[in-house]
Amino acid sequence: MTAFVTLRGVYNTPLLSIELGVERSQDQDLMTSRALEQFLASVEKRAFKIAQLGLRNDDDALDAVQDAMMKLVQSYASRSAEEWRPLFYRILTNRIHDLQRRRTVRGRIMAWLPARVDEEEEFDPIAEAPSHEPLPEKRLELDEAIGVLESAVAALPARQQQAFLLRNFEGLDVAETASAMGCSEGSVKTHYFRALESLRARLGEVV
Amino acid sequence: MSPESEKDSFEKRTRELLDESTARLDGRTQSRLTQARHTALDRLERPSRFGWRTLVPAGAAAAVAMLAVLMWRPDAPAVPTAHVESPVEDLELLTDAEAPDFAEAGEDLEFYEWAAGEMET
Repeated sequence: MTAFVTLRGVYNTPLLSIELGVERSQDQDLMTSRALEQFLASVEKRAFKIAQLGLRNDDDALDAVQDAMMKLVQSYASRSAEEWRPLFYRILTNRIHDLQRRRTVRGRIMAWLPARVDEEEEFDPIAEAPSHEPLPEKRLELDEAIGVLESAVAALPARQQQAFLLRNFEGLDVAETASAMGCSEGSVKTHYFRALESLRARLGEVV
Repeated sequence: MSPESEKDSFEKRTRELLDESTARLDGRTQSRLTQARHTALDRLERPSRFGWRTLVPAGAAAAVAMLAVLMWRPDAPAVPTAHVESPVEDLELLTDAEAPDFAEAGEDLEFYEWAAGEMET
């Protein structure tokens, strides 16, 4: 009898602690999931804009953002929430670069193939139709300023573009931008300064 | 206006314009971003048991290897492109083992499989 009680005592203790551990772990997972959702919701639109300017293609930009989200969740969910932003933008920056490289290789492969494979561009009359919706003058001015700025940002060299968008648009500090870009803080300052100079020279009074 | 304040004002204005542009994202894009977020968070609850390498079809992997060889051929014709870059870069990307995202979505492998078929014919 004594032995039985002792055995129960021996087995009960770890079982109880395991159950408590599971509950605690589920609570932690739920908190992490909610925190991650809040974080991703807070960055997704700007992340899309950054990817859109880097890739100049909405579908590719959406793919890049989704891949960055997945990678962050799969590999870095357990990191502290303060680390997520630079990590997320590091992943996104790498993904954009990867897609740009693949696009270049695809272009070169397509150049090897017979010309007939290039003739798949279809004209979509609805997508191409001009909008007749009248726009107020102010809105037109804003549209023009946004268009000119985005064209100028899209035309920047990749590293300058990243530094400008991460620092000025996303609001990362120099250290976070360096972490996201995988370079030194000095390089970030240089790329950012050159980006600003280039944009100022190109845009002048337009914006 | 001092150069410093002018710089601040320029930075502020460009940021405002990009914020405005972001706020105008259409409903379809916003919806797709929400879907992307939910898909990513789903991975937290149900992590994938398999890495991408286990999912790569053998035929597609062979197509990538074949393309790499075709593009590397020393007797191959010059690539008609404005970019004068080393084919080593293409080879590096096609065989980049350090890029786990390279084939994750499968769309590239489908393209390389198709392109290898085109080159054969």
